[in-house]
Amino acid sequence: MREVISGVLVLIGAAFMLLAGVGILRMPDLYTRMSATTKVATLGVGSTLLAVVVYFGELGIVTRALAAVAFVLLTAPVAAHMIGRASYFIGVPLCRETAIDELRGQYDLRTHELESVCFPELELQLPDLQVGRLRIPDGAAAAGRTLAEIELRRRYDVSVLAVCRGSHTIPNPDGDVRLLPGDELILIGPPERLDDVAEALKGG
Amino acid sequence: MNLTDLILWVAMPVMSLALVLAFVRLARGPTLSDRVIALDLTGTVGMGMIAAYAIARDLPVLLDVAIVLALLSFLGTVAFARYLERRVGP
Repeated sequence: MREVISGVLVLIGAAFMLLAGVGILRMPDLYTRMSATTKVATLGVGSTLLAVVVYFGELGIVTRALAAVAFVLLTAPVAAHMIGRASYFIGVPLCRETAIDELRGQYDLRTHELESVCFPELELQLPDLQVGRLRIPDGAAAAGRTLAEIELRRRYDVSVLAVCRGSHTIPNPDGDVRLLPGDELILIGPPERLDDVAEALKGG
Repeated sequence: MNLTDLILWVAMPVMSLALVLAFVRLARGPTLSDRVIALDLTGTVGMGMIAAYAIARDLPVLLDVAIVLALLSFLGTVAFARYLERRVGP
């Protein structure tokens, strides 16, 4: 009985490892490859070590095998996170089918700290003004209209510093720049008026 | 078919195939990070092979080898990640 269970566990482990191998070969970019290998290979090793536990069943060996499982479960995510983080910084590309990169703009590229973008120098000198970031949602009223048409400056005392679109940025945009859903606006203005703009642009 | 034969003739070849696939990615790249995770995967699969071999040959001491391999593989990956980040970092 013990041999049967242990044999099944080894086979499951081997199958998972094969899947990890297929994953690392077939996935389109580094990040998906990493997701395939770390999780699946960890499961495979865990299963094989459980087979060791079942097969030997002596206290000393069981303890060592379980310690090894715990070690792998602890270290695999840490290693994957460090590699993924480092790769993101050095600009390893995402695959072409990527729909959204939610991390873009969230890392300070100089200090490598994770935070929302802020402009401390600017706010020091202009205590009444705030710099904000605003995303144009799908189906928003502002999508498809130009900056001149939505009249942020006249109606809300808010200026647009830049429009971030996909991977490029339009600095100091003119009134004839047409907003698209998914664009991100960098705005400057009084804090309460920025909230008004956020409300107004959100509306459908 | 007993457990030893099952491991040596079925499980081991499957794991070896996984190792070969990881090595293909190691050779192909295209980036250094891909190679690092391929190396990490070889370490993990190697650990599984050692554990399976410990069962097949009834040698529980091999488990210590697997633990050391896991440790080395982890340290290697972390060192590579530090190096990758430092290379262009602050």
